[in-house]
Amino acid sequence: MLEIHPSYPALASVAEKYPTHRGSLFQTYNDILLAQQWRDVQVIDLGQCKRGALQGKKPRTAADADLLLHIVPCSLAESISLAWIQDVFAALVNPPSIYLAVVSDDSSIVYYKLSSGIVKPSI
Amino acid sequence: MEKRLFWERESVQKQVDSGAKKMTSEEIREKRRADRKQFKLDRAAAIAKVAAEAETIFETEGRVVVPALFGPEIPSGATWKPKTAESELALEQESGSPENAKSKGEDEGEGEEEEEPLEDMEHLQLTLPEAFFLAWNFDCLTILDPETDEPLSLPEIWITFQQIYLAPPIPTLPTPELQLDNPFLIHYAVYHHYRSLGWVVKNGLKFCVDYLLYKRGPVFTHAEFAIVVCPVYEDPQDQEVSITNLQNASPFTWSWLSTINRANSQVMKTLILTYVTIPARSRLSREMLNTPACFAHYSVREVIVRRFIPARMRD
Repeated sequence: MLEIHPSYPALASVAEKYPTHRGSLFQTYNDILLAQQWRDVQVIDLGQCKRGALQGKKPRTAADADLLLHIVPCSLAESISLAWIQDVFAALVNPPSIYLAVVSDDSSIVYYKLSSGIVKPSI
Repeated sequence: MEKRLFWERESVQKQVDSGAKKMTSEEIREKRRADRKQFKLDRAAAIAKVAAEAETIFETEGRVVVPALFGPEIPSGATWKPKTAESELALEQESGSPENAKSKGEDEGEGEEEEEPLEDMEHLQLTLPEAFFLAWNFDCLTILDPETDEPLSLPEIWITFQQIYLAPPIPTLPTPELQLDNPFLIHYAVYHHYRSLGWVVKNGLKFCVDYLLYKRGPVFTHAEFAIVVCPVYEDPQDQEVSITNLQNASPFTWSWLSTINRANSQVMKTLILTYVTIPARSRLSREMLNTPACFAHYSVREVIVRRFIPARMRD
């Protein structure tokens, strides 16, 4: 049923390679591209982590509109360890921060921003 | 449902914005008021027309028809659309023609053809407890097998939904037999309990809880209650031999409880711990899990958690 959705072609190769995680990848891709309206959204393959991820830029009106940001989808049912997070950072060649997209059964998505190292809170 | 309307509204708004120049908020407000006024005029005209038709029917045939105040003939907030400039002009030119209604439809059709047809990108997603609730209690949902496209019968749905949580990591291994502590059963018991009491039960992911209870729905007011499901085994032996790793089935730490309570107090929600008692395996026959009749043996109890600060809460 996923296959007939207009967004599927962009996700097809990564979704078929990692079928366990295609649900969360699909939901996150649609939310980022269509609801959050990010630009230059692309699907990337995190081979070592055995899942797909997304990269893109926030809408032009955002504060950090020109930064290339990374989003890693996962499902609420999964357990995430620090080692898992470290693997993801390594696979993305150590960006300053990543967004973790937690997708639940009813298609709600919650995003967490994970930064490498200690970051002072912005006022 | 609200999600679908959101997508259509946003997309239509984008098309409107890209076509016309940006309007100021005052212009938007005036346009909205003018549209609303036109809608009320159109609606009143439609109601008068329906009433007039009822009169004519009575005079000619003697049949009494109660004129409706809503229905397919009468525009409502959801169905009425503001006339575009081109169709209004065309209407004025052709007013008085007996085929007025038909050409109005054609003109509006032509006006719309210039915009691209909107592709619907949203879907409605139900969770397993939601789907089973609708299928079992209201018989208003058909669930198809994804391989065969055939509707599943209610017993098949019941068994399949449980097996989803029991699916072995290696597909060639046989599916284990049904368990009393299946997460589907626990969550369905909670969902059904609150739904049948009239609450709207939604996912609580944003607030680190299992469910949120709304009086009418997320669109109307904020949720007042946040539910954390705590399963309890009637027989501790069952927990030791369990193949399921149930969340929150073991005593939780004070720090966990404190964190969740704090997060929810910040947003003015009351934390409720919902204890679901899982009946002892020894008490029930194997066949009990083949139907929802097994729920007669589960119990759902609530404990409300509120932080007490002695210095501030003297009364």
